[in-house]
Amino acid sequence: MGITTEELPGGITKVILEGNLDIGGAAAIDLQMNIIAGAHKAVLVDLQKISFIGSMGLRALVSPARAIKNRGGIMVLFGPNAMVEKVLRTSGIDTVIPVHHDLQAALATFQ
Amino acid sequence: MTRNETEPIQDRIVLSSDLSEMSRVFPWIEALASQYEIAESLQFAINLCLEEAVSNVIRHGYANQAGRFVVVCFTVSGEGNLVFTIDDDAPPFNPLEAPALPMLDEQCETRIGGHGIRLIRGFADMLEYEPTSTGNRLHIAFSKNVSSASTK
Repeated sequence: MGITTEELPGGITKVILEGNLDIGGAAAIDLQMNIIAGAHKAVLVDLQKISFIGSMGLRALVSPARAIKNRGGIMVLFGPNAMVEKVLRTSGIDTVIPVHHDLQAALATFQ
Repeated sequence: MTRNETEPIQDRIVLSSDLSEMSRVFPWIEALASQYEIAESLQFAINLCLEEAVSNVIRHGYANQAGRFVVVCFTVSGEGNLVFTIDDDAPPFNPLEAPALPMLDEQCETRIGGHGIRLIRGFADMLEYEPTSTGNRLHIAFSKNVSSASTK
């Protein structure tokens, strides 16, 4: 499971995740996601290279999203594949964390 | 000589009650997917349902107690459906009767956990529960001919 960050214009932090967000993958990124959530208010999570997500993976996204929101910020999900998106929609996570496939639309969420 | 001729894929896997054991499930499903020509989207659905169901047994049924076991058996039904049967010896629990938790918790904040049962219901084509003399048995079936991504 890989996690890298990139600073975008406008104070947006892009978090690129790669691999399987299964139980092991979620545990691998949990700490770093929470550190990011404690230090940034505008976070774009790039899911394009995530090939699997389960409920523990959802937890690894929802927990930092909630922390960011409580600090007055926002987390946005970008580019999930069809099955990952189905998990986001089935769980209802997409109703509380914005999900975008278009990068410009995702970035516009922060304005 | 192909892999299947020398090393038949087991139709059951025995997992001890440790979440690290989940790492053995995906390769097992991948081998079954290769042998039974299971589409990628269906393989995703199977992985998801097994991860949720087995980890629920380990975390809640066994309360992470070591030295317990979960057995997952694979069969192809007469109708061609792929059926996974999960056996445990945890206290009785029927996941089909458990309510799916609402998205927001008591503080009206996004619920962090509790999505597993909703996901199993959303991705499996058939679920059946039966109590056993020693624990629980959950059947999770998938229709091989239907794409889980496009039908739900």
